[in-house]
Formats: sequence, structure tokens, C-alpha cells
Amino acid sequence: MTDLEQQGTSPAALDVSDLEVTFHRRGRDLPVLKGVTLRIERGEAYGLVGESGCGKTTLAMAALRYLASNGTVDAGKVLVDGRDVSTLKGEALRKWRGEAVAMVYQDPATALSPAMRIGDQVGEVFRYHEGLSRAESRERARESLRRVALPDPDATLRRYPFELSGGQQQRVVIAMALAVNPRLLVLDEPTTGLDATVEAEILDLIEDLRGRINAAILLITHNLGLVARLCERVGVLYAGRVVEEGPAREVFTDPRHPYTMGLLRCVPRFGMNKADAALQTIPGTLPALGEPLQGCVYSARCPMAKPVCTRREPDLYAWPGDGGPAGRAQAEAMSPDPAAYSPHHASPLGDGARHARCYFSAQVREMPETTAVLATSSASRVGGGDVLQIDALRRTFKDGRKKLTAVHEVSLSLKRGETFGLVGESGSGKTTLAKCVTGLLVADSGTLEFEGKPLRSAAGRRPREALRAIQMVFQNPDSTLNPAWTTRAILSRAVRKLGGTSGSSVRAKVDKLSADVRVEPRFLLQKPNDLSGGQKQRVAIARAFAGDPTLVVCDEPASALDVSVQASILNLLVELQSSEHVSYVFISHDLAVVRYISDRIGVMYLAELIEVGSAAEVFSAPHHPYTEALLSSIPKLDFGTPQQRIPLHGSMPSLSEPPSGCRFHTRCHRFLGDICVNQEPPLQEPASGHVYKCHILPAELLAAQTAPSPPPASGQV
Amino acid sequence: MARIIGRRLLFMIPTLILVSVLVFALAEILPGDIGRVVLGPYALQSQVVQYDHAHGYDKPIYERYVRWAGNFVTGHWGDSLTYQIPVLSYVIKALGNSLLLAGFALVIIVPTSVLIGVYAGLRRDSILDRIITISSLSMTVIPEFVSGAILLVVFAVSLKWLPVSATPPQGSPFIDRFYYLILPAIPLMFLELGYVARMARAGTVQVMSMPYIRTADLKGLPRRRIIFGHVLRNALVPTVTVIGSQIGWLIGGLVVVETLFVYHGIGWIMVDSALNHDEPTLEAAVLLVAVLYMFSNLCADVAVAFLSPRIRMGA
Amino acid sequence: MAPPDAVADREEQVLQADAVAAQEQRRQRRYLAKGLLRSPTFMTGLIIVLFWIVMALFSRSLTQDPNVVNAFATLKAPSAAHWFGTDDLGRDVFARTLAGARTVLIIAPLATLLCLLAGGIIGLVAGFYRGLVDEIIMRLVDVLLSLPVIITAILILSLLGKSIPIVIIVVGALFTPVVSRTIRSAAIGEREREYVMAARLRGERSAFIMAREILPNITQPIIVEGTIRLGYAVFTAATLAFLGFGLPPGSPDWGLTISAERGFVAIASWTVLFPAAALASLVVAVNLITDGLTRVFSR
Repeated sequence: MTDLEQQGTSPAALDVSDLEVTFHRRGRDLPVLKGVTLRIERGEAYGLVGESGCGKTTLAMAALRYLASNGTVDAGKVLVDGRDVSTLKGEALRKWRGEAVAMVYQDPATALSPAMRIGDQVGEVFRYHEGLSRAESRERARESLRRVALPDPDATLRRYPFELSGGQQQRVVIAMALAVNPRLLVLDEPTTGLDATVEAEILDLIEDLRGRINAAILLITHNLGLVARLCERVGVLYAGRVVEEGPAREVFTDPRHPYTMGLLRCVPRFGMNKADAALQTIPGTLPALGEPLQGCVYSARCPMAKPVCTRREPDLYAWPGDGGPAGRAQAEAMSPDPAAYSPHHASPLGDGARHARCYFSAQVREMPETTAVLATSSASRVGGGDVLQIDALRRTFKDGRKKLTAVHEVSLSLKRGETFGLVGESGSGKTTLAKCVTGLLVADSGTLEFEGKPLRSAAGRRPREALRAIQMVFQNPDSTLNPAWTTRAILSRAVRKLGGTSGSSVRAKVDKLSADVRVEPRFLLQKPNDLSGGQKQRVAIARAFAGDPTLVVCDEPASALDVSVQASILNLLVELQSSEHVSYVFISHDLAVVRYISDRIGVMYLAELIEVGSAAEVFSAPHHPYTEALLSSIPKLDFGTPQQRIPLHGSMPSLSEPPSGCRFHTRCHRFLGDICVNQEPPLQEPASGHVYKCHILPAELLAAQTAPSPPPASGQV
Repeated sequence: MARIIGRRLLFMIPTLILVSVLVFALAEILPGDIGRVVLGPYALQSQVVQYDHAHGYDKPIYERYVRWAGNFVTGHWGDSLTYQIPVLSYVIKALGNSLLLAGFALVIIVPTSVLIGVYAGLRRDSILDRIITISSLSMTVIPEFVSGAILLVVFAVSLKWLPVSATPPQGSPFIDRFYYLILPAIPLMFLELGYVARMARAGTVQVMSMPYIRTADLKGLPRRRIIFGHVLRNALVPTVTVIGSQIGWLIGGLVVVETLFVYHGIGWIMVDSALNHDEPTLEAAVLLVAVLYMFSNLCADVAVAFLSPRIRMGA
Repeated sequence: MAPPDAVADREEQVLQADAVAAQEQRRQRRYLAKGLLRSPTFMTGLIIVLFWIVMALFSRSLTQDPNVVNAFATLKAPSAAHWFGTDDLGRDVFARTLAGARTVLIIAPLATLLCLLAGGIIGLVAGFYRGLVDEIIMRLVDVLLSLPVIITAILILSLLGKSIPIVIIVVGALFTPVVSRTIRSAAIGEREREYVMAARLRGERSAFIMAREILPNITQPIIVEGTIRLGYAVFTAATLAFLGFGLPPGSPDWGLTISAERGFVAIASWTVLFPAAALASLVVAVNLITDGLTRVFSR
């Protein structure tokens, strides 16, 4: 390619030019990637961001020559380390795959062969690539496991994948990927599905390894914070096109494409609260994979769209530069041709260069808002008596012969109109707690009081009054609505059972509910499978509100949705809270979202509530060491302050054998000594309404946590 | 592992007791007065009563059952009512014949079907795959007596390539038996081929779509290693499970084939004794088959546990 | 820059775009339904089965009387007078072959219906309630499955005599445990879904949840299981007839015929060949239907 000849230096790790990929499915041709050009230099880390259906995984597959059989490369070239991958076949392809490229992807449990020992799987690479003997491969495998900081490599070699935790599994996958020193390492959503602290560990590992290997990294993710943390450059993908490209820091602080700006605006920034502003949603829905679009692919949803945008698709213009205005003038002069697009760029790519596929990049800064500021004020919302009182709730499960305590002596209270955010990692007990509150599970001991009156534990035993008052919104939009019923039937049934109404008033109520959640009446006649994820979740919310509830438990209501859809669901929940005066228990693993939406927050660790306080209090010092570590593990989009990472060593102890004394002592980076092991910590109260369970006094903790130097490394294990 | 076997053996005992109760009830109680059945409708009532008393058929049911079960466990299986020979040796010998036939068929067809199924799964949706799938399925669902009858007509009667009978003449060397068993074994082979090949194919297809195969590909492993090391190991689990669940139909197939070819195996004995109301023989045969069936299910489960470390370790 | 109307326009666009997505999904559903009609395996199987159903109903009026005995025309080879030849009692094999469909097509579907009904209810109850109820039911099922179906059928039928209703009940009852297992696992799969949890939060009663929430979502596995059982039922009914259990002698049933005529196979193979081929065609056809259905459902 011209770039290569021009530079005359070592070839880029990945050089994609004008790539066009089409999928053929059920008789239709779906164009997935069009005119994609990007370049990753040796040793560079490049982030590729986009939401579902944008084609980012397809791009990775094309780079690895691993497209599914119904996908074809219609145009363009992919060069890895200077080599054209389309020329590789058979034996050469196999060798190349093992030597030059490697991939790590989501869900490490399924990436490992379940019936083969770890040692054999990792050792395979050496045996079949470098032709080493069994013993030698074993030794190399051990070495690889050590490189990824897996404790006790010898024991791990003999284990099977299902015996390892998620984080450990992903380390093994990374070890396998790096075993032969690839030129290009592709990471496709490598930490989605892992707990926040585990995610942070994996990211630390990758950062650490970067110093020692020369692989270039292509990080594919929807999480902008990850990219900000790891990558020098970023490319934003929308509907199969690169819409913006450049150094990560610049792109995220000064975006020049409306989509990038939209993405940045719809994600709650750390520290943001619902009282400050509504999340700016991106109207419309994501285009389905392969959907043909006219003109600028983003124009249908762009708040700045002008007629010229649909006349002709803009090129990828350099920024800063005149490319945008010049292109616009050209597009206006020519006859409209919405299907046309120019694969070639006005300027070469390379370090420091920025590009944006928009005629109006200069005005992106002033992009109009899409959502009105919510007229809510903190004072008017929260008030009145306690809606919910939980006292010393306990719930255990039997797993074979072991007894697990999922919720241990949890007490909390909730006021009318308040949002209580519940955070914790997997196994912390937050979902179990939610189910006990709603009655899906019966607590073993402890009391539940609703509006001052005792509440029966099982949902089946509660009177209709209690059922309509306490409802739940679930996580998975695909299974939250019965696929065999029409939407109207689902809502009507809920209205009848919870609202106690019948006859014609049911219809009126259903219409009102769907209007409140902004689902158009015609969708009521359809079955859930015909609705999008966001719509399904809206219907689920409407269903929860069918009986005018007082408390709605939201269990990760937006986690399964794309970021742009997530924002609209969160806005809806905030809106409904102020208009219907309900309280929420909001569960999420996404701390920024919890911070945004909650008035008060509770942090759970290993079945205990270890900290409760207002959102602002919990998220700043003094707070429990676990909260501190949790907060530091989130990759933030903040380029201003340097992040103090507090790594948490060891893994989450088993629920059947919780540590003695303070449950967190095995991993605490502020471990004091024997007192933490032997004595259960008291509740410290730095401010009225803010408590945490620790032996360290608030004044000391405040001093330690606001000190400039990084804290000592953690680890009891 | 030992725990799994132990638990299953423990579970087999009450099941066996229940089965024996069922057999006892059906064979000894339901027909009514045994004396009447044996002596026929024209015998005098006094003769019937005498017969019943002599054989203990007039005792209370509970007592009869305990005695009957006790007899069975200690090997006193009585004499065949039809042939007046000791049931024990008669039935055991037949069992041997059946095991020979079934073993012959299985040893040939199980590895073959697995290979065919895996091959079809690897070449999914190709012409070859469709042919294999449809033809193996077709061969399987045809009842054994149908395929057996057609094979008889074609190969034994028309072409005269194989003998019509399943038993060689007296005094022939042991190896001759296999030649005579070819025709009877084929319907059994058809039966297993379809199910095993289909499951092996399904298992293979499912495994091929798993991410760990993608990992193996991207590691640059040679095709052979991927198939034998990764695919086979994981695809065999549902396959062995289905072999286990098909044992019941294999036994049924044995019954049919033995009846068609008049081969004196345990299946033939069962039909013969049922039609002739030869209770002692029928009971012995059924209980023996039940024990065999449970035992082979256990073997299949053990094999699955062996293949799947997850099950083995009780995760 | 943007007037307040822009926000309302955005709303409109949200809904427009959603509609496009919905249309696409509807299109795909219709495609699935057409897939059945276009599947050669399914259609072939269906046509053959329909042919035999017609024969079962109308063969008496289309052919000679299958029960007429003719001592002078025994074991005659196929000819113009008797297209498939005659059997050892001089009966026309062609007529008997076409009439033989009747018994199988009465027994098998009815037995299947019986086991689907019984097995469905048991499986649904066991899968929904779990706990002790499930344990007890499944242990019973295990015990019932500890003997091969054919063996138990032989045992029972040897006592209860030969008649079609008894065969239907016995076969149906013996298939119930297997069906209940399949339905149970389907029910368990649906039970943990969030819409079931939502139903419990509405205070719905168990019977309602089983019948109105879960059952409509497991129709696919029920249908597939039903067609599989139908294949097994045809197989089992024919086999039992062959072995001599359950049907009165003289009936033109295929299994019975093959059993009765097998002594003559060396000299008059047509007496066995044609019924065998007919039975084979029916069984294969049912399984082609099953294959076609599973293929279309799993796309």
C-alpha cells in the first residue's frame, strides 16, 4: 500500500484499508463493514468502540482470517505485520494463526476446553507449534502461567477449567494467547461479565504485560473507560463505518463526531447525580447488523443533521482541517446519491492524526441537547415516613452438603421517594436480598416491615395490597416478558391483578401506562419478540407500575442494554419516580450508574452490608476500604486526575466459609492485624446516617484515604 | 467416582425389589388360580386344589412373595412348565447366546457409527451429511423384524449369500457361529447406527460451535489435533449417554430378531414363555434382563463420568 | 440552535425506527412457517403419511376384500389378478397390504395422545414444583423405566389378552415416563425465567402459572416429542403385533402378517416383502416429519 512505501519503516502491526465485508444470511446480503481503514503500529494499543451491530467483532474476525463461512470480504485489504492475510491458505494460514496473531474474548469459561486439563491446553501451543516434547511444553506452560501472575502454577496445570474462577480463567486464556509472542493481540470485550475488581486485575495484567511484549493490541469494547485506560488511539465504529478516529485523550475530551459526543453524553460521568441533569439520550435505535443506510449513516439519529447529510455520505476528513466544509460544498453541488460513499480518505493516517466522518465537525462542540433537563429537586422527592424497614435479615442456601449464607444480618431502611442503590460484586448477596424483599425468596430470620406493618415473607402469601405496593424490574429484557402473550395482555393482566380494576377501566389504564413509558399503542398488539430490548424493558417497567406501587426493586434494569438505550431507561425511571413518588432499590454493578441514580447507597460484601450512607458520602473518604478499592478499580473517562489503583489480591472467599472477624480482612489493603481476624468490626459513624463496618476510626481513615501517596499493596493470601 | 458407582448400586436394590414385585404380581397373581391355568379348564376342582396345595399356591400372597424371592436369590428357579427342564441352566445358556449376538453387533457398529456421526457433523449440511443423516435415520426407525425380513429375503433366499438359520449345525467350530450371526446382527446394527450416529453428529455440531474450538483454531493447532483432542472428547459425552439410553431398545430388538430367526437367546425365551404361560421361565428371564439392563445403564453412566471431569467431580 | 420541537421530533423518530425493527422480525417469522412447506423431508413424510391415512380409511372400497380365503389360489406369485400375489390362505396380498395400515394408524396416534397428555401433566407438575414432589415423581419414573418397554409390554399383554384398546392403553402408559422426563426438563428451563417471577409477584396461583405462563412456551418441545413418540409408537405397535401380542389373529396388520407368513419366506417372499416395505415406508415417513420439524424449529 502507499503508506508502506511512503514510510519505508517497519510495517504496521495491523493495516486495514477500505475493508468491505458482507454477510449472506437466509438469502439476503447484509453489508456489515464499509470502507473501514485503520492502522495500528507495532506495540501500540488501539481501542475500537461501538455498540451492538456496529461490526467491531466482524472486523477482528476479518483481521484474523476467521470470518464465518457466510461472510465475504468484498473489497479492501488486511495486512498483518506487512503480510496480506487473504493470501494465506492451509498450512501457511495455520502457522500464521499460531505465530502472528492471538485473540482473547468474552466469557473465558467457554473459551477453554472443558474436558482438558489446563496444562495440556496451554502446552498444546508449544507442542504443535514449536515441536517441543511433552516435558518441555509442560515447562513452558508453567512459565506462561507464572507470567500472568496465576498463583500456584503447578496445581493450576493439573486443574480443569471449571475449577477456576472467572478471573483465573481469563488469565489462562491470556497466557495461551501470549504463549508464542504474537505480533497482534486482539481483545474482544475481555472483561465484560467479570466483577469490577477482577476486571481491574486483568487490566493491570495487560498493562503490565505490554511493557514486556511487543504485541500491538486491538481492544474491542463498548466501554469507553477501558479504552481511555489502556489505549493510545481509538476508533469509533457505527454501522460498519469508522466515524471518528484519533488519539484517545483528544477524542474523548474533544469529540468531533456527533455519535462520539452522544456516547459521551449518555453515560453518567463519575460523580454525576440525577438531580444535576438528565442523561442525554441518543434518539432512535441502533441499526441492525447489515441494515442498508442512506447518506451519512448516523443522520437518522443525529441532532445536528442537515439535508446535505442525506445527499451523500461524508468522507473521513482530517481534523482539524477543511475537509468537512469542502466536502459539504461538493456534496451540495453534485446530484444527490445517498448510496454513494468514498472509500478513500482525504489525508493519510498515522500518529497524532485525527479524523471524523462528518460535514460539521466544527460544530460538534455545540451539539444541541436531546433530552430536556428533568425538573426534579432533591428536597421535594424524598420525604415522609419509612417505606421499608429491614432488620437482621438472613438467608441461607444448601449446596450439596455445604451451607451458604447468602445474606447475613442485613438491616436497612428506606424512605418514601428515595432511591437506595445497592452495589456489590457477584456473590455479595444483593440479588438474594432483593428477592427476599419482594417475596420471591423467604428469609430464614429477621423482619421485614412495610409502611410500619410487618410483611409476610412469601409473595404467594401477601395480600394484594402488599403485592401491588412492592414490585420488581428484572435484568434480562428478553425473558422478562412472557413471549407467548401480547404486550397488551401482559399489561392488562398486571393491571387486573395488581390494580384490582376490571372492565373498561383496565383498557384506559393500560393505555396510560404505555404512554407513560413511551411505548406506542400499536406495539401493544405485538408479542415481545417483535420489540427491541429497550422497548421490552419499558413494558416491564410499565408492568411494575401497573398497580401504582410504593417501592420498585430494580435489579440491573439497564445492564443488558446498549449504552445509548441504557440512558433512556434510566431517565424514564427518574421521571417516574418524581411523578409517581415511588421509592427504588436500585441494584447494579455499574458504580457510575448507581451514583447517578441513588440518593443513598449500600455496599455489600460477602453477604454483609458493610457500608451505608448518602451517595456522596459513600463515594468519598472516609469510606470502607472495600468501597475504596471498588471505586479505584473502575476505569474512568477522567484524564485529569491520575488514578490510584488499589489492587485487591486474592479472590472472593467462599460463602460457605466466610473469614472470621471482619469478612474483608483476607484482602484488605488497610489490614491492621489480629484485631481484624478475631473481632467482628463495629459500626463506625463518621456522619449521621453514614455507617461502615471497620476497626479503623473515621478520623484515621479519612487521613489515610486522602493522603497523596498510594496505599500499601493489599493481600493476606 | 467410587461415590457415583456406590450410589447407583444402592439405588439399584430398591428398584430391583420393586421390579420383582411387579413381575411377581403380573406372573403369579393376575393369571388367577395357577392350578387352574396349568391343569386346564376341564380338570376337576379337587385336582386343582390339590395341585395348588402341593405347590404352595394357596398360601397368603406376602408369604408366597417372600418364598418366591428367596428362591430366586438362592438360585432355585424351578422347572420350565413347557419343557420340563431346569430353568436356571436353560435361561443362563440362552443369555450367553444373546450376549454373543448383541456383543457381535455392538462391537462392529458402535465405533463405526461414532465415526460416521462425527464425520457428518464436521461436514455439516453438506450433501454427504444429508445422505448420512437421512439414511441412518431411516434404517434405524424401521422395526427390526422388517429389516430382518427384507434382508432374509434378499440375502438368504434370493442371493443365497448367507444362511437362513441363525444357529450353525451341531458340532460346528465356534468361529462358525459368527458367520451365522451376520444376518441377525444387521438389524441390531441398523438400530444402533441411527441413534448413535445422530447423537455423535449432534454432539459434534454442538461442540464445533463452541468458543473453545475457535480458541483452538486461533492457536494454530493442526486439524487432526483439534478433532481428536477437543471435539471428540467433548462430543462423546452425549453420545455415550444416548448409547446408554438406547440399551432398552436394543434389548427389545434382541427379542424381535431372535424371534424372527428362531435363535434361542433370552429374548426368544421370553416370548415363548409368555405365549405359553410358562411362568417360572418368564419370571427368571425378565428378572435377569432387568438386572442386566440396570447394570449396563450403570456402565454407561460410569463411562460418561469418565469422559466428563465436571460430572466426575460432582461440580 | 434546536427548537423545543426537536425533542418531540426525536420521540417520533424513536418510534419510527422501532417499527422498522419490528417489521423485520415479523418477516422472519413468516419465513419460518414457509420453511416447513418448503422442506423436502417434511413434505415427503407428510405425503406418505397422508397416503396411508387415506388407505386406512378407504382401502376396503378400493381393493378386493382382504379377508376372502381361497384354498385354490394359495401362495400364487404376483400377477394381473393379484398384483402382489396371494398368501398361504389365498388372500390377496395387495388388499391386505393396503388394509394393514388401519390398525397401526389407530393404535399409534391414540397411544401418543395418551402419553402426551399424561406425561405432559406429570412433567409440568414435577418441573414446576420441584422439591419433594419432583423427587418422588422422578423416582417413580426411574423405576418404571428400569425395564425396557417391550419387555413390560410383553409381560402385561400376555395376561390381558388381545384387543386394540388394551394395546393403546399399555403403549400409551409405557411411554408416559419418558415423555414426562422431557416435558419436565422443558418446564424447569422456563421456571426460572423472569416472567415467571413476575407472575409470582402478581400473586398468580400455581395452576395459572403452569397452564398460562409456562405451557404456551414449551409447545415446541412438546410437538417435537410428540412426533418422536409417534414414530416409536408405530414401531412398538408393529413389533408387538409381530411377536404375537395384542391383536386378534386374522387381522391384516402388517406386523401380524409378517409373523404369520415368515415360514413361507423362502418360497413366497412376496407375502412378507410387501407388508414389510409398507411398514417401513410409514415409519420412515413419520420420522421424516420429525426431522423436518426439528430442523425448522431450530433455525
